[in-house]
Amino acid sequence: MRYAHRAESNYEYSNSTKESSDECYAAESMIPGVNTHPMTQIEPETSNLKKMSIITTTGLTKVYNADQVPVHALRGVDLTIDKGEFTSIVGPSGSGKTTLLNIIGGLDEPTEGKALIDNTDLTTLSDRKLINFRLHHIGFVFQAYNLIPVLTALENVSFIMQMQGRSSRECREKSIDLLKEVGLEDKINKRPSELSGGQQQRVAVARALASKPAFVLADEPTANLDSVSTAELLDMMLELNEREEMTFVFSTHDQRVIDRARRVVTLVDGKIDTDEKR
Amino acid sequence: MFVNILKLGWKNVWRNPARSGVVIIAVLLGTWAGIFSAGFFNGMLQDYLHKQIELSIGHMQVEHPQFGDLYNPKYSVSNSNEIVSYLEAQPYTREISAKSIATGLAQSPHSSFGVTINGIDVEADTSLAIEQYITEGEMIDTTSRNPILIGIELAERLDLELRSRMVLSFQDVTGEITGGAFRVAGIFDSFIDQFDESTVFVLQSDLNRLLGNMDAIHNIRVDMDDLATAEMHAEEIEQAFPGVLVKTWRDIAPDLRYTFDMMDLTLYIVMIIIIIGLVFSIINTMLMAVLERTRELGMLRAIGMNKSRTFSMVMIETVFLTMVGAPGGLLLSWLCITYFGNVGIDLSAFAQGLNQYGIGTVVYPSLTWSYYLNIMLMIALAALLSALYPAWRTLKLKPVQAIRKFN
Ligand SMILES: Nc1ncnc2c1ncn2[C@@H]1O[C@H](COP(=O)(O)OP(=O)(O)OP(=O)(O)O)[C@@H](O)[C@H]1O
Ligand SMILES: [Mg+2]
Repeated sequence: MRYAHRAESNYEYSNSTKESSDECYAAESMIPGVNTHPMTQIEPETSNLKKMSIITTTGLTKVYNADQVPVHALRGVDLTIDKGEFTSIVGPSGSGKTTLLNIIGGLDEPTEGKALIDNTDLTTLSDRKLINFRLHHIGFVFQAYNLIPVLTALENVSFIMQMQGRSSRECREKSIDLLKEVGLEDKINKRPSELSGGQQQRVAVARALASKPAFVLADEPTANLDSVSTAELLDMMLELNEREEMTFVFSTHDQRVIDRARRVVTLVDGKIDTDEKR
Repeated sequence: MFVNILKLGWKNVWRNPARSGVVIIAVLLGTWAGIFSAGFFNGMLQDYLHKQIELSIGHMQVEHPQFGDLYNPKYSVSNSNEIVSYLEAQPYTREISAKSIATGLAQSPHSSFGVTINGIDVEADTSLAIEQYITEGEMIDTTSRNPILIGIELAERLDLELRSRMVLSFQDVTGEITGGAFRVAGIFDSFIDQFDESTVFVLQSDLNRLLGNMDAIHNIRVDMDDLATAEMHAEEIEQAFPGVLVKTWRDIAPDLRYTFDMMDLTLYIVMIIIIIGLVFSIINTMLMAVLERTRELGMLRAIGMNKSRTFSMVMIETVFLTMVGAPGGLLLSWLCITYFGNVGIDLSAFAQGLNQYGIGTVVYPSLTWSYYLNIMLMIALAALLSALYPAWRTLKLKPVQAIRKFN
């Protein structure tokens, strides 16, 4: 129920993603008996697809050209993540986890390949539209510096909804609900500096959920946390995943976190090495 | 959303209270210093203007329309008694003095110099301004024969001392050259060199006898309570007495007005210099604030805060930073100007030389409302301008680069 509105908010982007849906269409057309002509029968098929995969990357490569020597951070990553998955991206340092998440999150552009996120090919979006896309479709949790230090937990969570242009009453009520959900009902008026690292990350998760995103992206969300806070944060994320069917994609180095993921994608040297669902 | 960005901007100002405090105090003191010094110099100038007016010009002067052309003494004000009684009856009049005037040559055995000779009626005009500037000797009176009051500059030029004899020669009402010998009764030092070198005062009866018209009045000077109404009353008088010309202080001394305008400009230039200094310190502070918040701003951009919002957030923050101090500075300077405007600032202890420039040693600062208003506008404009650069820096921010720094 909570995320039911998402269908409408996707809608405004679906026009700009016509080209990108050709990709899906190409795949579909392989199925016998399906009309291969675009725009006629394709709609029901794609909307079916829409429901399933939230993230689809094809042949994603990223080459950094700093310091004259090109660095191949990603060397062709094909990854599909469906709605409701709880995916951990793992791999040694420098294997390209952050790079991959940044591209999926619309924070960086691939050198080659495509990232189809919530049915939108991000490479087709202008800078302005991309910011707006992130605001409405993706929830972010970073390793640190997630929160605005001068705002309370409540204000931090409300802020993103205010940016989305929702009424202040709705922002407030929804923020309180979310902070309750992450177990911080008694901390709503505390500033980040008055919260522990684990509590700050939970506020960040609440903030990420507040925008009613298609999925939550988290680059090493537990890297700065002790084991107790890590476990608590993970419990909470898993619960949201089960109860709300919220999709989480996160990177981590922490074996205890990896152990609890439903799907573990291992990157080695910019390529997917193993992809294990459990 | 705008309201939320406003609130956030305000809270951001107080992130680093010490640093913001320094800027706020700098703005406050800068505003105060700029405005108060403007008030101070304006007060000095007003004092100078009033002295000038008091000494030589008055607020209005009534003359024969042709007298001003060549100072020909035959053009006297014919119905001067009537005009004087009329003016005495007017509520705006504070003082009236009627004098006869001749222009001619002052000669000593040494040298000669062109002067304006004022014939004053020491019995009728009991409070002649020149009296207070006499530094040697005393005011002329009817007890001595042909006494004359000369300025210190003329005394030096003609090498005259108290009780020296000198000769004045000029045209009489018929156009003949006439003249007489006078004895220096007093020497004045008005501080206005030009005045001190070319103005002399003699008894009206002495001058008029030589001019050949005992009733000659060439100039009736009126001082009023409010000099701003001079133009209005000048017209009334001209209507009541069609045969005369009434000039106001503005007509008589356009140079005073020019001085005034220049002073105004100078005051603004001083303020602009102060504001430029403030702008740099504000930009510096805000750049620091933006740079040390790169990660946070990157995070905000990453989660979906668009450029115009981060831009306006920093703009608002800068404007707040400026606008907290400015009204305080305005208020403080207003209080100081009002207080010292009444009490006066006594500079006699460390500014002996001021008199040379025609400025009194007690300064009464004053400033018009329009100046306050203009300063307020200038500061607001400066705040906006200094906000632009730091805010513009946020536009170049790339969220990934900002976030990369986490690791
Ligand atoms: N902006 C950049 N310029 C140049 N090289 C970069 C840049 N960002 C990342 N790289 C390089 O790309 C490769 C992949 O980096 P990435 O940060 O994605 O790895 P990671 O798996 O997230 O590592 P870690 O586990 O340490 O966070 C690394 O070799 C890194 O040095
Ligand atoms: Mg990383």
